[in-house]
Amino acid sequence: MSWDWLTWLTSGAILYAAPLLYPALGEVIEQRAGIVNLGLEGLMLVGAALAFAVTAETGSPWFGVLAAALAGGVMNLGFGYLVISRRAPQLASGLALMFLGFGLSAMLGKGYINALIRGLPRYQLPGWGAILFNYDLLVYLLFPLALGLWWVLFRTRWGLRLRAVGEDPITAFAAGISPAWVRYQAVFLAGLLAGIGGAHLSVGVTLTWSEGMTAGRGFIAIALVIFSRWHPLRAIVGALLFGGAVVFQLQLQARGVGISPFFLDMLPYVLTILVLLIWGRAGRQAAPASLGRVYYGTE
Amino acid sequence: MRKVFWVVLLASLVGLMAAAEEPCLVVGMIIGGAKDDGGYNQAQYESFMRIEELIPCVELLFAENVPEGEAEAILEHMIQQGAKLLFPAGFGYMFPALSVAERHPDVVFMHPGGYMLADNFGTYFSDVQQSYFLLGVAAGKMTKTDKIGFVGGMPIGYVLGNANAFHLGARAVNPDVVTHVVFTGTWLDRAKEVAATQSLLQQGCDVIGSHVDSPIAIAQTAEAAGVYFVGYPSLAVQKFCPNGWITGLGLTWGDFFAEIAKQVMDGTWKPAHIRKGIEAGFIALGEFGPQVPEQVRQIVLTFAEGLKAGILHPFTGPIRDQEGNIRIAEGETWGPERMGEFDWLVEGIVGQPG
Repeated sequence: MSWDWLTWLTSGAILYAAPLLYPALGEVIEQRAGIVNLGLEGLMLVGAALAFAVTAETGSPWFGVLAAALAGGVMNLGFGYLVISRRAPQLASGLALMFLGFGLSAMLGKGYINALIRGLPRYQLPGWGAILFNYDLLVYLLFPLALGLWWVLFRTRWGLRLRAVGEDPITAFAAGISPAWVRYQAVFLAGLLAGIGGAHLSVGVTLTWSEGMTAGRGFIAIALVIFSRWHPLRAIVGALLFGGAVVFQLQLQARGVGISPFFLDMLPYVLTILVLLIWGRAGRQAAPASLGRVYYGTE
Repeated sequence: MRKVFWVVLLASLVGLMAAAEEPCLVVGMIIGGAKDDGGYNQAQYESFMRIEELIPCVELLFAENVPEGEAEAILEHMIQQGAKLLFPAGFGYMFPALSVAERHPDVVFMHPGGYMLADNFGTYFSDVQQSYFLLGVAAGKMTKTDKIGFVGGMPIGYVLGNANAFHLGARAVNPDVVTHVVFTGTWLDRAKEVAATQSLLQQGCDVIGSHVDSPIAIAQTAEAAGVYFVGYPSLAVQKFCPNGWITGLGLTWGDFFAEIAKQVMDGTWKPAHIRKGIEAGFIALGEFGPQVPEQVRQIVLTFAEGLKAGILHPFTGPIRDQEGNIRIAEGETWGPERMGEFDWLVEGIVGQPG
């Protein structure tokens, strides 16, 4: 038996994982600062719609990605204003952000549903056939990005401050850190990354826009954060496992393995639950201590 | 000042005259997706707009992206605006539309593909499976690897029927063809459709067919990989695969919708399940792509003539399923009315029917 299938599996898993990983990395930053954002889906949708619209208008997918990143960042600052300055509950605000994203993206993308674009240019790893390992730059940037993020979070003063705010904002405040300022930075970065994730879906992977095209990926990204125990590098593993499971089940179908597609479609989620079960047993609780709590401030 | 007065007077007169000129019929349609999705919704919308071309005195009311939960409210609103004929043009609108129909016995409803009838509620659809055979013929002639692929949304009877027809058509002209079938488990998730298409490419398939809401991403993936593509359910998807395009099927109900509108106007409309095929213009074969040789075009067109003339019946026995059991006996023919019954795939197809 040839190992061809493994090459295809890896190649497909990476492409499937990439648009999940950007928002997941953003959510790692945000949650490390103590904020749960359930609105990733909305940010991704706006990113996807805007990136596609801008690409269709300007002909440059990079302008599209840039616009999506900025829009995601700015929109998430709005969420930040609610949960940081106005001290609104995070879960409800996140859901509101998601619904806003649904509506806004539908409006932004309306005129472009049938548009034909040139997506992000792809660069092929040498030595593979015509289709395999042929990715755009956003995919190649992911690993250095996750590595850089790990370094920043765990090896720099800025990262230490961010994590301190996530663990205990009152103590951090006593140490001379402004929790609000740190959290605004985290929220902005998370928005940027979620916007890029959405953009990658529309101008990198599918080259189309359709309403609700993220199809729950914003929530899978949140699951990946828990799965990774708030660690950027483990998030890569999680995204690859999940993407791999999706691609693997499609491969099994195409190959004609006698298992129902309904059952196969469940596999990625079953796998997610299994891994959570095993890791849950193994570990010390890694969640930032103040995660999801409203910080009422000491000013 | 006086000039302004005259302009205002004139405008009001024009307004009055316009109001006096009542439309001969108000017709409404709601769809679940976007009117330019290059797929199912676009086919519905373009058919709907054709009514006005054929009967200029009608007024059309239209709403897109209508969730099933809001269908009743929007249909009611259209009735308030005078609609006497409504097309709730998505399968999921069947029960919401039925309950509106019950409250408004004077309004006619036409629903796509449903199985419910009422005094003012009829249904329509095309015999898609019979025509999908033609795409199989084209694919069977064009494939170089003798492997063709099919991306389905949900593995329901009609989708399995299309996959079966695709395979039977290909086998009719090329006995070596193997068809690989993959289901995404959803009608619209384009990133997953890309992954599904790639899993078919991995198996060596060099012609891709599909049955999802809008196959734009599948078409573009096929184009990028340099393989062939056949389109369904709207011919508008051709522009996303200009080079690999073989041909396609478009749902074309415009003339039929106009006919229904006429029947409603003169009171001759009767509720019925109306299912017609390529012979009645309910579905149309697209143009051929640049790589399709003249000989292949002639073969496909000959089969199309056979369908139109009623000589060709794609689902004529003996047809075996994947386990080798005879499912359609020798001499037996499955017509359009049985297409929803498929829970099996034809021998020679690789894939699971659910």
